[in-house]
Amino acid sequence: MDRRNFLKRVVKLFFLSLNLSLIIIISYLYPSKIKQKRLLNIYVTDEEFLPKKGIKRFEYSFDKDGERVTNFVFIKRDEEGLTAFSPFCTHLGCLIRWNNIHKEFICACHGGRFDKEGNVIAGPPPRPLERMPIEIKDGKVFLGIKA
Amino acid sequence: MGKLFDWFDSRFAVKAPHRRFFERSIPPNLNYTYCFGGIAFTYFLILVLSGLLLSIFYVPSEKEAYKSVVMITNDIPFGWLIRGVHKWSASLFIIFIILHAIRVFVSKAYRPPRELNWVIGTSIFVIAMASGFTGYLLPWDQKAYWATEVGTSMVGTIPLIGKSLMYMIGGGSEVTGTTLIRFFSLHVLFLPLMIGILLWLHFHIVKRQGISTNL
Amino acid sequence: MKTFKSEKRFYPDYLSEIIFSILIALELLLVLVLIFPPEVGRQIDFSKPFQPLPEWYFLWLFELVSYFPGNLMFIGTFLIPLSCILLLLLIPFLDKGKYGRIKAYIAGSAVLLVFCLFTILSLVE
Repeated sequence: MDRRNFLKRVVKLFFLSLNLSLIIIISYLYPSKIKQKRLLNIYVTDEEFLPKKGIKRFEYSFDKDGERVTNFVFIKRDEEGLTAFSPFCTHLGCLIRWNNIHKEFICACHGGRFDKEGNVIAGPPPRPLERMPIEIKDGKVFLGIKA
Repeated sequence: MGKLFDWFDSRFAVKAPHRRFFERSIPPNLNYTYCFGGIAFTYFLILVLSGLLLSIFYVPSEKEAYKSVVMITNDIPFGWLIRGVHKWSASLFIIFIILHAIRVFVSKAYRPPRELNWVIGTSIFVIAMASGFTGYLLPWDQKAYWATEVGTSMVGTIPLIGKSLMYMIGGGSEVTGTTLIRFFSLHVLFLPLMIGILLWLHFHIVKRQGISTNL
Repeated sequence: MKTFKSEKRFYPDYLSEIIFSILIALELLLVLVLIFPPEVGRQIDFSKPFQPLPEWYFLWLFELVSYFPGNLMFIGTFLIPLSCILLLLLIPFLDKGKYGRIKAYIAGSAVLLVFCLFTILSLVE
């Protein structure tokens, strides 16, 4: 190898070795605190307001890191008991609504549809609606929320 | 060059127009003092990179600025390194601009037809100092606050236009959160952009006129 | 563009020399950062008096101000710094005629002298 080709190698090696600094840059950019979500029991409503049979929408609020967060949930009561459906479409997280005439959940974003059990009828959603833990204590309804 | 590069080159023809630049011959009597400008430019590139990285965690607000700097320095992996690199390459940038200017002066490289490039270089130097001044406030600590308070007050002593100029720069009669946001914007957007454009001109002129051999 | 007798080309001869000096520059930077890592300053506190200390390349400006009290302050804060910048800008245009180089030398060294002298004075204090 003559001097010229050697120098060309050196130049290339220098620019390649600059990539080593990527290790530092990536570990700097990677978020250091990824917060683990925990399960909170949030009071939603009293038992007397729940529907005898069918699905109803309930709004609830709770404090998260000092901020008031308001959201809603669909609660279904039938022979099997209580079921709570998360209002987020399993496709891309849009909010769904309940159509009481056709008895189905509809996501307006991309036309996803779910039946009253939360199973996908039509559209792109990959999974049934997510169910949330729900329990009644002393006539009050509590919802388990990951926050 | 590699196959991948050849593939790009066959489509965009990047090699041919730069061949003259890459294969041009270099005057034989150059020494290592001719590298000062290139080293200053290297520090500028490091400043841009480390500054981009810092801007990801820095929060330019009166309440959050100090906390975010503490977080970068103490909590974030290599945060202290990035901050230290930014701070020190700023000082070295200034030092090497001065050394470069001395070298240009001694080798009489400012003489015609290169007067304009000397003027551009001086402008880069002044803007670099302005960058240092605006960047000094951003940690929003005791030292930064009072240095900026004195600095902006000094602008206020200029006859006639001083006061208006001071309000214009600082956004008020004293250093506040408004000043912080103004300085942040100047430091990360206006001034680097100006330096970038001037540097491009600076290099373009060198490329056109060749390296001075007045020595 | 002029060509020269020497066989030196930008790539790879000159570029490898540039890279050598860049490596030294990076080394210098890393050594400085490792010896003097950045510190977090004290939080802003208006109740405590604080001696402001600027970056080292503004020390000369801070020092200049202390020589011009009262109404003359603008000489230190404005007139001298501005004339320094103007002198620097004018160097290529001063360098004309028989004594051009000497005029340029005076202008350049005057600026450098003001910068160095007042920086040292402020460091001595």
